[in-house]
Amino acid sequence: MSDRGLRIKDLRASVAGKQILNGIDLVVEPGKVHALMGPNGSGKSTLAFAMTGHPNYEILGGSVTLDGEELIGMPPDKRAKAGLFLSFQYPAAIPGVSVANFIRTARQSVNPTDLPPAKFRKMIFEKLDVLDMDPAFLSRSVNDGFSGGEKKRLEMLQLAILNPKYAVLDETDSGLDVDALESVGKSVNAMRETDEGKETGFLIITHYPRILQHIKADIVHIMMDGRIVKTGGPELANVIEREGYDKIREEVAGGVA
Amino acid sequence: MASLSLDHAGISSETLEHLMAGASPAFDAAARRTALAAYEALPYPTASYGRYWKHDLHKIDLTHVVTSAAPATDFAAPEIFASDARSAQISFIDGVIAIELPDALRERGVIVTDLATARRTHTALLDAALGTTVNVADDKYAALALAFQNVGAFVHIPAGVAVDHPIVIRYAAVANDAFPYTVISAGENARVTVIEQLVTGDAPRFMCGIAEIIAGTRAQVDYAMVQSANIQSKTMIARGATVGNDAVVRIGLAELGSALTVDTLKALEHAPGGHTDVAGLFFATGDQHVDLSTQVDHAVGSTTSNTIIKSAASDRGQARYLGNIRIRKSAHGSDSSLRDDVLLLSEKAHVDSIPALEIAANDVKAFHGATVGAIDADQLFYLMSRGVPRVEAERLIALGFFEPAIAQFPTETLRVHLREALEAKVTAQ
Repeated sequence: MSDRGLRIKDLRASVAGKQILNGIDLVVEPGKVHALMGPNGSGKSTLAFAMTGHPNYEILGGSVTLDGEELIGMPPDKRAKAGLFLSFQYPAAIPGVSVANFIRTARQSVNPTDLPPAKFRKMIFEKLDVLDMDPAFLSRSVNDGFSGGEKKRLEMLQLAILNPKYAVLDETDSGLDVDALESVGKSVNAMRETDEGKETGFLIITHYPRILQHIKADIVHIMMDGRIVKTGGPELANVIEREGYDKIREEVAGGVA
Repeated sequence: MASLSLDHAGISSETLEHLMAGASPAFDAAARRTALAAYEALPYPTASYGRYWKHDLHKIDLTHVVTSAAPATDFAAPEIFASDARSAQISFIDGVIAIELPDALRERGVIVTDLATARRTHTALLDAALGTTVNVADDKYAALALAFQNVGAFVHIPAGVAVDHPIVIRYAAVANDAFPYTVISAGENARVTVIEQLVTGDAPRFMCGIAEIIAGTRAQVDYAMVQSANIQSKTMIARGATVGNDAVVRIGLAELGSALTVDTLKALEHAPGGHTDVAGLFFATGDQHVDLSTQVDHAVGSTTSNTIIKSAASDRGQARYLGNIRIRKSAHGSDSSLRDDVLLLSEKAHVDSIPALEIAANDVKAFHGATVGAIDADQLFYLMSRGVPRVEAERLIALGFFEPAIAQFPTETLRVHLREALEAKVTAQ
């Protein structure tokens, strides 16, 4: 099908009256890992929130389709049901709501005709194991008093359990120590090896190429000033690692001039 | 209670004389007449804070108060604890008393009886406790409660006795209005959990009562009150507690029902090593008004307390919480905390949250934290981004909000009951 993919077309969006996205064009293909890199303030997280429908982000124009279905205008829960997942850079704490209750509710919302409780339980425990997470996690309140690493692991647990068509990982590597980063990589790679997970398309938003040592990117996009300025293969990440963003900025500026 | 005519209604000395003529007395006539005089003389409670309080109590119409109707016979009182989950129970449906107290507990000296019987058979024990924590001379509605007291329970746990499961006290006001008076006393090293339920039938009722808790040296008393009157009723309760040497008193107040609830708790820490926990929750929905006041009074040093109040309001719900921690000059080395959080779920809902720390001693620890707000947009977005529809997400967040207070209530059975009751209120939105 030609309309498959998470297709972002000329997306423009603003926050608090300030335009941040100046026309994003990007296609995340099923089963592929795309990295979205860019300096701080380039609009990467804004893109993530605009796609998922955060109420503070105003869409000024353009479209985002998921396998042909327009997402713009849908409430966030409908986008999740359509198959979109965002791993938050700073996930919200929800006191008094247990991880187990939350994950069960989320899974049932996204996939109502679901596994029997025993199988669901088994699945959770398997995924916990991959992420090196203690089952005691399940009875804690969602993200309440979690360390940075615990929060990111919980995001990855949800990713594995909700098994979306497209996953946006917003700075999942930020604030993680080596062990946590390895767990995150293991979890995503394990998911991609399953029958259900192999078709999931990833958009990994990152400032540093560090996470890409654990999750291999197929395509790398560079974002600056609210636009995609360059797209290339995995070697592009190495260029960034060696030379930073300045060289690309000069290149882009030169190209425009 | 003798069957009486319906001609006598309302709050008056005439009704009182009539009531006394028919009931077996837990209080003598002179005490009741004095209390009624105090009720009539005392001004309506007012406060210098809050926006709703002042204009409401004057409007309560007590001319239809009924204390002499035939008791309801077809009322099935709601049960939180099944018979195998409680150690004893005293239940009142109007004035009709049902007591279950296993011989094993009776033989160890545990008393679970109605107040009038206690007055006759355990006079000294009752006198040692009754009236020691609530002063009817300066509390208008406590005075009214004493004057018209028509139901009441005395629970006494002798020194060294531990009761395994909760003792349930249940007051059901069905055909009559209720003036319940609860006295709980725990001797040295005694341990008990007491659950008090205030319920009504479908008719609007007035419940005006007193509850007193007296914990002796090293005693442990868990007391939880669940008020689930119908939403046309009015409930006004004055509660008092004294905490003995190295004793632990945990108090949980769950205000779920009633059109108007006024609940006042004063806990006194008068002996070193005493610890008090106060947990309170209410959720004013529809047109409900709730007024909750708690005070923990640290009169001596080396006493500790934690207060946690979780209150929510939606629709046109109005509420006030007055939270007071008093640390007297003599209370060196006391350690207390007060945490109250308010969740507002509609534009017209309003909660005045008024914490007050009165600290007269120097070397003390006192923590206070408070928040007031609507459902957090980031929490909502987070849940919705996982596919959870808005209504369900709001429900989860609201129920989660109460959880830290619920966690302080005794027994998982009660906690489950509270979660379900709150969920029903949230879902009814």
